[in-house]
Amino acid sequence: MKRHNNELEIDEDISFERSTWKIQRVGWVIMLLIVLSAILGFTGRGGLLNVNKQTVTSTDGTMEIEYERFQRREASSELKITLKNISTPSPTIFFSTDFYTKQRIDKIIPEPEKVEAGADGIVYTFAVDAPNTQLIFHTKSTTFGQIQYSVQRPGSSAETIKHFVYP
Amino acid sequence: MDTIIRGIVLYLFLMIIFRINGKRALVEATVFDFVLLLIIAETTEQGLLGEDKSLTASLLLIITLIGMDIGISLLKQRFNFFEKVIDGGPIILVDKGKLLYDRMKKERVDEADIMESARAMKGLKRMDQVQYAILEKDGKITIIAQDDAG
Repeated sequence: MKRHNNELEIDEDISFERSTWKIQRVGWVIMLLIVLSAILGFTGRGGLLNVNKQTVTSTDGTMEIEYERFQRREASSELKITLKNISTPSPTIFFSTDFYTKQRIDKIIPEPEKVEAGADGIVYTFAVDAPNTQLIFHTKSTTFGQIQYSVQRPGSSAETIKHFVYP
Repeated sequence: MDTIIRGIVLYLFLMIIFRINGKRALVEATVFDFVLLLIIAETTEQGLLGEDKSLTASLLLIITLIGMDIGISLLKQRFNFFEKVIDGGPIILVDKGKLLYDRMKKERVDEADIMESARAMKGLKRMDQVQYAILEKDGKITIIAQDDAG
């Protein structure tokens, strides 16, 4: 035990405490940066910048997919598909396997008429009576990390959707 | 396995976050500090158990948390430096009656806090009756009175 002023027995290590203060202040800055990135939207579930909302359109322009780039595990998320100028009353959409194995599909609005499972994915058939219509998929990720799958309408390009899921 | 990882991550996270906050975090025990503590506890609970409300998860979690605690206390006992990193050490704030303002500022302690401790612990009336004030590693301020203070 060290002795301070020859009377006070204390294990003070002021140089260590000084470095602690420095590290603490660095920690405060990191905390601030985390909050800022959350406000901007980098941690999912909304945000001031639209970094979270991503939109892709298929090459023939009949399908627009709006999805959330950053998700959180077990937190609800939305995938919106807008169909434009479609000629058939029963459009089909294909999703590759990861869409339903790495996320739970809570609800599809409107409910699909028919669901078919294939070797490498799932095909939903919807009933629509207008050429422009919107479909909403409510999902919850069951794993964390990267989730990647493709969405395709027959005769059009396969669009790759990538989500990053926080634990 | 998921539960155990959650337990370890949250244990380490809370340890780091409270260390970053500083010694005086939540020790002033004002009403608001108490409320804050409750909110943090409530938020932590969600992260710890998630959707899993099973008894197994609770038991596993308790074992994990207590295990972490034992492990860390063993490490602290074995390595002095580790203890210093985790807990910090005492800091002299008043040295032979002289207030060390730079340290007080860094630890967010003011004269009123020192006098509060001086009153509570020693029944002192004035700052000049304080010989030493020490910010202990648990965040409390201990006071040693001047020899002639009465």
